Amino acid sequence: MPEPLAKKVLLIGWDAADWKVINPLLDQGLMPTLDDFINHGVMGNLATLRPILSPMLWNSIATGKRPNKHGIHGFMEPDTQNGGIRPVSSTSRKVKAIWNILTQRGFKTHVLGWFAGHPAEPINGISVSDLFPYATAPQDQPWPLPPGAVHPESLRDTFAELRMHPADVTEAAILPWIPRAAEVDQEKDKGLMSFAKILSENCSIHNAATWILQNEPWDFLAVYYNGIDHFCHGFMHYHPPRMEGIPEDRYEIYKDVVNGAYRFHDMMLETLLNLAGPDATVLLVSDHGFHSDHLRPRGIPAEPAGPAVQHRPFGIFCMKGQHVQQDERIYGATLLDVTPTILTLFGLPVGADMDGRVLVQAFEEPPQIARIPSWEQELGECGMHPSDLRMDPAAAQAVLQQFVALGYIQPPSEDQSKAVASAVREANYNLARDYLDCGRPDDALPLLEDLAKNDPKQTRFQMHLAQCYLALSRRAEAKQILEALITADLNPPEAEAAKAEQPDQAEAGQVAENVQQAESPQAETARTETPEALAPETTTPEAATSQEKQPNPRPWADLLMGVIHFEEGNMDAALASLLKAEQSDPRLPNLHLRIGETYLRQKRTDDADRAFQQALDIDGDSPEAHLGLAMVRLRQRRNEEAAEQALLAVGLQHFLPLGHFYLGVALARLGHRQRAMLAFETCLSMLPGLVAAHRWLAALHSQPGGDLDKAIRHRSLYAQLMQQRKTRARA
Amino acid sequence: MMQMLSAGGLSVVTDGERQADADNPRGYFEWERIKLLPKQPDCIAEAEGKVVKVISQLLFALPAGREYRVIFMQRPLPEVVASQAEMIRRRGTTGAGLAPAALIAGLGAHLNQVNAWLKDKANISVHRVEHGDVLREPLRVSESIQQFLNCPLNVDAMSQQIDKSLYRQRSQTA
Repeated sequence: MPEPLAKKVLLIGWDAADWKVINPLLDQGLMPTLDDFINHGVMGNLATLRPILSPMLWNSIATGKRPNKHGIHGFMEPDTQNGGIRPVSSTSRKVKAIWNILTQRGFKTHVLGWFAGHPAEPINGISVSDLFPYATAPQDQPWPLPPGAVHPESLRDTFAELRMHPADVTEAAILPWIPRAAEVDQEKDKGLMSFAKILSENCSIHNAATWILQNEPWDFLAVYYNGIDHFCHGFMHYHPPRMEGIPEDRYEIYKDVVNGAYRFHDMMLETLLNLAGPDATVLLVSDHGFHSDHLRPRGIPAEPAGPAVQHRPFGIFCMKGQHVQQDERIYGATLLDVTPTILTLFGLPVGADMDGRVLVQAFEEPPQIARIPSWEQELGECGMHPSDLRMDPAAAQAVLQQFVALGYIQPPSEDQSKAVASAVREANYNLARDYLDCGRPDDALPLLEDLAKNDPKQTRFQMHLAQCYLALSRRAEAKQILEALITADLNPPEAEAAKAEQPDQAEAGQVAENVQQAESPQAETARTETPEALAPETTTPEAATSQEKQPNPRPWADLLMGVIHFEEGNMDAALASLLKAEQSDPRLPNLHLRIGETYLRQKRTDDADRAFQQALDIDGDSPEAHLGLAMVRLRQRRNEEAAEQALLAVGLQHFLPLGHFYLGVALARLGHRQRAMLAFETCLSMLPGLVAAHRWLAALHSQPGGDLDKAIRHRSLYAQLMQQRKTRARA
Repeated sequence: MMQMLSAGGLSVVTDGERQADADNPRGYFEWERIKLLPKQPDCIAEAEGKVVKVISQLLFALPAGREYRVIFMQRPLPEVVASQAEMIRRRGTTGAGLAPAALIAGLGAHLNQVNAWLKDKANISVHRVEHGDVLREPLRVSESIQQFLNCPLNVDAMSQQIDKSLYRQRSQTA
């Protein structure tokens, strides 16, 4: 077994933290603790998964596994005890989290506030569930902790006392963030109330974390703060520069809230680091970023989890401690890598069934990595709830339906039924999108076909079904859906039909997550409990008016139709469809990439250059846009720039085989043979069947000083692959 | 069981609304209002000192602040599922839509959750009675219930309520 690389590990989660906001604050010296942290450790982007929904992502961070393995598929799940819904729970997670594995190996382990953390798991340490910080009653009334919020039960009263109520947030606490708070008309604008709620909840979590660090022995502590995400959902539209449509006076009132949130987290970080001590290895991660610039959406789609459109696909990763590099940047990390890396820090093996990898580049020396097939088969008490308490939410719902059919219990109310149906539907939709994201369209297909059949008015289901058919090369079926979407858009339905297509009020209310309620389980529960709570909750008038209808599917359908034409080799038709999409929505994600690829295929290199530049103008952190520009620069024989673009691409997304391939080509042309061979080998480790990479390696190894055996092997592989290709073509 | 308890001398809360049918030719001891328990937990006050039939799902809704004695009827789940399927067929309603094996697993998980919930409740004492034991040894079961409830019951009358002809959904493994 490898030697441990850390004495103790502190894992801090900042939901939605984003370098795009942090970097200017670092430059101004406004986040001194984080600045010092990254100067003594490593930092980098942390690529997220899709769909970008926090409960799924934080459980992937904690397990090293994708949602289709860990079983957390959304915000809500059916509740068998009340016939309605509840926040997704710890009994629904199917696999061990890092705190379970460490419990199993006898480490003193604590976890605080993690998504799907309720009821608190019986680990070897303290577990405080995600329902812990929410104030469920006014300050002058009792607000007991929900049963199961704290393990061990003996610490329940201690932790209840550590909570802060929103009403305890005083003027003195608000004014540094919102100096003109007195101008807010609190009858119309609930911004201050939301602010106090978010601040108090995060103070409660922080109090609990500092209490543990001060009073309990620990080997591992994981603590999750939702503050940055919730402040951003509530106030990012006031963040500088002022967005179109935001009134000047309100902008002036709230413009500093987001930066204030980051500075506040920096202060909390300082306390945590001081209490953790110099011996601790510390990881600071976020599950996704948050659009803070010209990419901020102007409206939120009126669909469940619509506010996720504000999320950016890159979060943050920082780590410092013994054996960790100092003042270095690391590339290509994904949130699936966090748990394998922590296991390696403790000298424990990584499960082969984990989807992430150890971030070896973060260490001074490559660490020894032990492996086992799976932690799930390792016997021993791991602090999960007993297996007989864990129940598939869909099966639980079926049992309730059985009781209703038998007349044993009353049917759920209409509101409850809608909420349950919505929770089950969204979980299936999210699971299908996870399958699509990890290249398993076969598994996504039955889910999407069911969703599209049962709810044909939801264009998002049709759109993803078309995408799924395309991934399965079932182009005719994809075309059929897209043509229907395009035709429907060309022939707008009557007003009444149009009205019917909008999500109903209950659904819109359930998902009016443009405020901190977006990811607040307690608020979700509250909303399902009373009919009046079904109305959308908003913080500020601007947030209230930012709800959009279902997104217009037309530009997206044109884009996908362009992709189909491209795959069929009809470049003129592809370009025509893509340019139509551009006319309707020039900022459609990936549109300019597809246009650029089409121009490349047409050998219109300068047009392709412009298209990829446009893609970068929209999102400077797009690995695909850098990849496209690398290809363009190779065509133009501007090899140094090609290498630079390819490096940028793989830096943003390490698993990008073509990025490594283009890098190899550019380096080979520049005469950097060894580095070129390394790039081609990296490419082949990701995409072993890439014929051209074998040909390049054969050629490079055939040069003087090369490895002739390898040259022969790659030449042989090249020949085999070409033969297979010919056979397939003939078939 | 409700007939046994009634014959034993206990006062049973029932509204008599559900009539005897092919599933239960000797009639039901239902009390429709109990279904409102999740929304109107105080309705349980009407059953103070009496016997009321409650499905396991509704136990979650029992309000705190009262003492309860629960006679928990247990039966092999394959028999339960077969019996429920027949009842659903006669009622013309739609059940869970799961294959029997999946439904058995789901009901098993549900019972585990109920049992875990009951375990933590100091105000609820539980006496478990196997359906098969009631048929085979009605007198012994009646005496055990008398002991659990700690009150005199007519155990002979209780044991005479058993009609084995109604035991139709026998498990293949039983």
